[in-house]
Amino acid sequence: MTHEVLIIGGGLLGCAAAWHLARAGLAPRLIEARGINAGASGQNAGSLHFQIERRFLEPGGTAHAQGGDIVRLNRLAIEEWAGLEDQLGRPLDIHMHGGLMLAENEADLALLSLKVARENELGLPTQLLSGAEARDLVPRLAPHICGAAWLAQEGHANPRILADAFADAAKSSGASIETQSRLLDLRRDGDHWQATIEQSGQIATARARHVILATGHWTARIAARMGLNIPLYLAPLMMSVTDRTAPFLPYLIQHVGKRLSMKQTDDGNMVIGGGWASAPQKMADGLPDLDAPPHLVPDNLRANLAVAAGVMPCLRGRSLIRSWTGMTCISADQLPIVGEVPAAPGLHVAAGGSMFTLGPLLARMLARSIIERAMPEEIALFSAARFAHLNAFVVPS
Amino acid sequence: MSRIVDGVTRPAPITVEIDGAMIPAHPGETLAAAMVATEIYRMRDDRSGAPRGLLCNMGTCSECFVWIAMEDGWRRRRACLTPVEDGLRIATHEVPL
Amino acid sequence: MIDIAIIGGGPAGQAAARQTLAAGLSTTMIDEQARPGGQILRQPPAAFAVKGWMAGRLYRPLRHLLAQTEADTRLDWRGSTSVAGIERIADHFRLTLSGAHGGTLLARRVLIAAGCYDMPVAMPGWTLPGVMSAGAVQTMLKSQQLVAGQPIVLLGSHPLLLVLAMQILDAGAEVAAVLMPQTYGRTMRAALPHLAGAMFAPSPLIAAGAAMARLRLAGVPLMMGARPIGFTGDGRLEAVDYAWRGRTHRIAAQVAAVSYGFLPQSDLPRQVGAAVRWARPAGGWETLCDGAMRSSVPGLYVAGETTGVAGADAAMAEGEIAGIAIALDAGAQPASDMARAQARRARLQPFIDLLRAVADPRDVWPQATPETLLCRCEDISVAQVEATMARLSPMADASAVKHRCRIGMGLCQGRSCEHALVRRIAAAQGCDPDAVAPFRVRFPARPLTVDEIIG
Ligand SMILES: Cc1cc2nc3c(=O)[nH]c(=O)nc-3n(C[C@H](O)[C@H](O)[C@H](O)COP(=O)(O)OP(=O)(O)OC[C@H]3O[C@@H](n4cnc5c(N)ncnc54)[C@H](O)[C@@H]3O)c2cc1C
Ligand SMILES: Cc1cc2nc3c(=O)[nH]c(=O)nc-3n(C[C@H](O)[C@H](O)[C@H](O)COP(=O)(O)OP(=O)(O)OC[C@H]3O[C@@H](n4cnc5c(N)ncnc54)[C@H](O)[C@@H]3O)c2cc1C
Ligand code: FES
Repeated sequence: MTHEVLIIGGGLLGCAAAWHLARAGLAPRLIEARGINAGASGQNAGSLHFQIERRFLEPGGTAHAQGGDIVRLNRLAIEEWAGLEDQLGRPLDIHMHGGLMLAENEADLALLSLKVARENELGLPTQLLSGAEARDLVPRLAPHICGAAWLAQEGHANPRILADAFADAAKSSGASIETQSRLLDLRRDGDHWQATIEQSGQIATARARHVILATGHWTARIAARMGLNIPLYLAPLMMSVTDRTAPFLPYLIQHVGKRLSMKQTDDGNMVIGGGWASAPQKMADGLPDLDAPPHLVPDNLRANLAVAAGVMPCLRGRSLIRSWTGMTCISADQLPIVGEVPAAPGLHVAAGGSMFTLGPLLARMLARSIIERAMPEEIALFSAARFAHLNAFVVPS
Repeated sequence: MSRIVDGVTRPAPITVEIDGAMIPAHPGETLAAAMVATEIYRMRDDRSGAPRGLLCNMGTCSECFVWIAMEDGWRRRRACLTPVEDGLRIATHEVPL
Repeated sequence: MIDIAIIGGGPAGQAAARQTLAAGLSTTMIDEQARPGGQILRQPPAAFAVKGWMAGRLYRPLRHLLAQTEADTRLDWRGSTSVAGIERIADHFRLTLSGAHGGTLLARRVLIAAGCYDMPVAMPGWTLPGVMSAGAVQTMLKSQQLVAGQPIVLLGSHPLLLVLAMQILDAGAEVAAVLMPQTYGRTMRAALPHLAGAMFAPSPLIAAGAAMARLRLAGVPLMMGARPIGFTGDGRLEAVDYAWRGRTHRIAAQVAAVSYGFLPQSDLPRQVGAAVRWARPAGGWETLCDGAMRSSVPGLYVAGETTGVAGADAAMAEGEIAGIAIALDAGAQPASDMARAQARRARLQPFIDLLRAVADPRDVWPQATPETLLCRCEDISVAQVEATMARLSPMADASAVKHRCRIGMGLCQGRSCEHALVRRIAAAQGCDPDAVAPFRVRFPARPLTVDEIIG
């Protein structure tokens, strides 16, 4: 069977790309090794965070220079999320009521004001709030919170249902989506790619002009098997959640100096995370097992909850009902890698970074790059070409 | 009265406060037992507002979670595992933290 | 760091402690109940005095064991404390505790003897206050010295109902009816192949016979072949509906005691990664072990109902075996002989098989309607679950269904609904329940407040 586009991976990225490609009439085929949304896309914190990270502030660094592009992308991502429920025609628990990045002391506050100034300069309408103003918004914040950066467009969405919505929309636009279908091997065959796929115990092959590796934290290992170097590194994370409580927090809460993300879901549970590590299980050869859920690191859970209860003391009395772990990946320069791999024409990747917040936008851009056969300039910053030197010694197979 | 009396010696009763009402209980008894003995079978409400009561009486099902007043606020605890003591104050509806 | 942490103070945990203490190992026993005893000997509050408590001859060995346990000052007993977390670090374990002795505990070895719990079975009206598990009614009696209500109706397929009925009569209260869906004929057919073997351990059979005679004498209607339909009432249970001889009937009740069997407690073994399998016939997950009760996780032992529901005598025998194995593995000298303990356990098997065959609930389940809640914590109905499963076809695991409709996402983390969900998925896919991937079990095994974790 020959396809114009074969997508590997049924997470948020793969399903959203399938939808955009299907709407353009390309009838893509998507194969997913397990079930739709079984990877990071269904396990993440669901934060929609658009304030820029601390590293984009440090003057002189490369990241500082990229701040403008990042802000531009974040603004596009805001538009993307704002229109998503209409476009997909169903409720997705998307809440963009605002987000607060908190300061607990003078040093935090100094950093926040620097950040807000820089963001405003770049066109992101963040506002610096005093501690009292922050508590007006969220009365349960601790009395020592001395300020916050407020961005009205931040918020959260429900990661448990989003990929399904994209997959359903893709299917009705002509995409074929197959679960329990694992890519085993991918090799060049003239101007096409030949994929070997395991599907319910059977081995089949498929040819495609374009292949998208929307395989999250598996991407680097799949590429490595093809002899390609994609600098993506494992980021095993953990989350936890309390029992349901009456709605009191419509906003996303983050911390400028500590790892914290916190929100209240539609159902009323408090979801707590912020980038605390879990511990991957290991395979016989000592390498991390990419398929197995990482182990919780209880000390990190304690530390994470301590940060959360530090800014919101009433959390001390909430019941914790569950914790979980998941894996994602970050790139060598902490920016996503999106687009065609120069050493392997027709092979596209999309991974690394906060791909929930940016996922819907980047999937659209990636699809556009295939449809228009040109990389949209908005995401030039994320181009895989920036790591082309790593594949200088690769012999195309 | 559903407490077995024959052959059972209990400490003198105390009272505990449930949603503002006082009910009798014997020290050592579980809160769930004291409620059932007073024919209070409802221990919480579900999401539709329908009443719920204990199911397993052994700490496993979580149906009997009530709010208990502590020095620094309310905590949710299993009524079937919580012994009553003098001054115990509980609520069967969520108390804002 | 202690030598051995025993989770569960029932017959299994106590029997193990006899061995580990005799071998000189530092032993801590943790239980969420205030006093040791487990479910079969759930003790009254320490401040109560109860004359002739659990005096029956059948309970004698259990009472003896309990007396030994309580008198043993070497045992570090931590009651009113739940184990919420268990993790293996290098060559030892760390437990996260909640309750009276909260905090963490390091142990070289761990025995999980956490017992079982009444299988929650979804049927119309089962969330009404007053509808309880038979175990709940029974422990109210044994421990709290309280009859949960009157009138009381007992229903389900498990013979424990007969024991309970007798205990209610002993307490001077009345039993309105005992409704058992299986017929006499089915019961006898199920029992027959096992009877000869079970005669080696006949006392429970004799007890069951005595119970039936006693019920008849007291005029309690024991209806075999009566199929429970559901519960009705305004804000609390008022009546039980059932089908009997081709007609539906309604009987008034303040309390209904339901028993279709028991599920092994499996959250701690699964949290720490021990291998489990679907329990037969009643379902749930029993933890796998070798002949010396060693689980698949090095240093982790299991005994009693956690390894499969088999009754108190088996729990005691398995606890003894586990205790001996722990002592030997630690290079110490246990009090008893391993081969003899294993032989004791083996002799019980025919009776266990008999009980399992008689109590097999699989062809007598009550029917849930589409509106019946399957997940009691998040209020997820059968219809919602079925619709989610249909959308996910052809293949779905339990977690995929959970993620999409919230079944199992509440306070009990699936202890009440997971078995039912897995049965439904297996039925829809025409496969064995063992082939369906269950929920992923995570910390905490019991809800605990954030301040208990961060201190
Ligand atoms: C705990 C946690 C919290 C996070 N919080 C946030 C957040 O708040 N905000 C944010 O923006 N981002 C967050 N992230 C990151 C975000 O979840 C990921 O970046 C994003 O979901 C990636 O989506 P994806 O579709 O690329 O990958 P995935 O969702 O991982 O999907 C990849 C899919 O590929 C499939 N696959 C792999 N190998 C093969 C193969 N050989 N054949 C077929 N299929 C295959 C997998 O089964 C999987 O379903 C978080 C991540 C984690 C783990
Ligand atoms: C409610 C109930 C009533 C029963 N009544 C009878 C009866 O009358 N006759 C009969 O023959 N059998 C009865 N059984 C069966 C009974 O389980 C066994 O006969 C016997 O008690 C099993 O012994 P065990 O040691 O395996 O487990 P158990 O006796 O159940 O002991 C396990 C102990 O572990 C504790 N535990 C479990 N999880 C945790 C945790 N996470 N943290 C801390 N502690 C924990 C429990 O509180 C319990 O005390 C009953 C079972 C139940 C559930
Ligand atoms: S009644 Fe089940 S936990 Fe208390």
